[in-house]
Amino acid sequence: MADFEPIVGRYITVDIAGEKHRLFVEEAGQGIPLLCLHTAGNDSRQFRHVMNDKELTDRFRVVAFDMPYHGRSTPPDKWWLKKPRLTTALYMQIIRAVWTALGLDRPIVMGCSMGGAIVLKVAADYQNEIRGIVGLESSAYAPGRYNEFLHHPAIHGGELCASYTYGLNAPTSPEQNRRENWWYYSQSGPGVYQGDVHFYSNDWDAREDIKTIDTTRCKVALLTGEFDYSCTPAMTEQVAASIKGSRYTMMKGMGHFPMIENYPDFRPYLIGALDHVAA
Amino acid sequence: MSEFPGASWLDRYAQRVNADAEMGVIGDWLSTTFTLTFGDARHALVVDKGKIVKIIASPRFDVRAPFGFRAPVEVWRKFLSPNPPPLYHDFFAMLMRVPEFVIEGDSLIAMQNARALHRMMNIMRETGAPNG
Repeated sequence: MADFEPIVGRYITVDIAGEKHRLFVEEAGQGIPLLCLHTAGNDSRQFRHVMNDKELTDRFRVVAFDMPYHGRSTPPDKWWLKKPRLTTALYMQIIRAVWTALGLDRPIVMGCSMGGAIVLKVAADYQNEIRGIVGLESSAYAPGRYNEFLHHPAIHGGELCASYTYGLNAPTSPEQNRRENWWYYSQSGPGVYQGDVHFYSNDWDAREDIKTIDTTRCKVALLTGEFDYSCTPAMTEQVAASIKGSRYTMMKGMGHFPMIENYPDFRPYLIGALDHVAA
Repeated sequence: MSEFPGASWLDRYAQRVNADAEMGVIGDWLSTTFTLTFGDARHALVVDKGKIVKIIASPRFDVRAPFGFRAPVEVWRKFLSPNPPPLYHDFFAMLMRVPEFVIEGDSLIAMQNARALHRMMNIMRETGAPNG
């Protein structure tokens, strides 16, 4: 008998900004919908430990998907005629399209890095339709990561993107897990990571939006790793200071990719955050 | 007397790079000369197919080094400490968040070798600054 994991993956086609997109979605568990958003240039495999955690999947329907261009999702038609460039508006449409297509009722939306950024906007715009957000490595404004070498014909994009992000892990996180994330980064399509960082580093600014979040309607839990230099603990502290009633925890000995780089140490933080948002 | 950042420390660093299993896998295309500047002390490392074959202290102007890394000794000490503080735990982190840590010269050549170079810098961290 094969030792199957409980994760089930399927493909759906959704309409995003007037274009059909074939996306890969995977999920496990039953209960409160927990929609998970991966980091820039990566894909839903980052959430495999969350989806394999029985204590969580007994309470939550954990859903993760690959963004267009990422992982097993297909780019839209005529992709070869435009640079992949994620924007705040497009990102919101993508999330909304998936959430609607899957019929997720008052989900908790959890994202990391660029996903941890956009969940702040999701909370601001949809605070009456969701239970709340879990922001991993969340910043309302995060300049500094974009550079031209991330998509350059004289540079191996996969190796640069993966090496560039490797140092975002905590040095104490298990080597095997850091290298797993390295591998996922190396598999991104040309220019996709740069297009995501363009959103994260150049387009993104939600410093005013987050002031409108009412945590009596939409709970907010924020978790940021001590060693994250992309979104530093100080940057998330600023977010928390702007959202009255939010819960912020700095994760000791953790970097920018908690759900994949060191799940055993991340787990207690995650459960605490989910308990807060699901209450 | 401090071993770091002197010749014996660099020799030990070179031995570790040259014996590293991962460099053996990824180093084939890294043939260049780059400089490491610890405060006022500048060294050129001649690398051939991922192996450090020569270390030149205080290189003169006829030593051609396309790129290099420069920082005050205090910054290098943090990077090389057994438990580096956040922002000093990785050379990409320092390039982004520690203004005193500078990449000099042609960064394109450096980033064409990002993986091997990153491994070399991590081996440097593992070598540490024992008398620091």
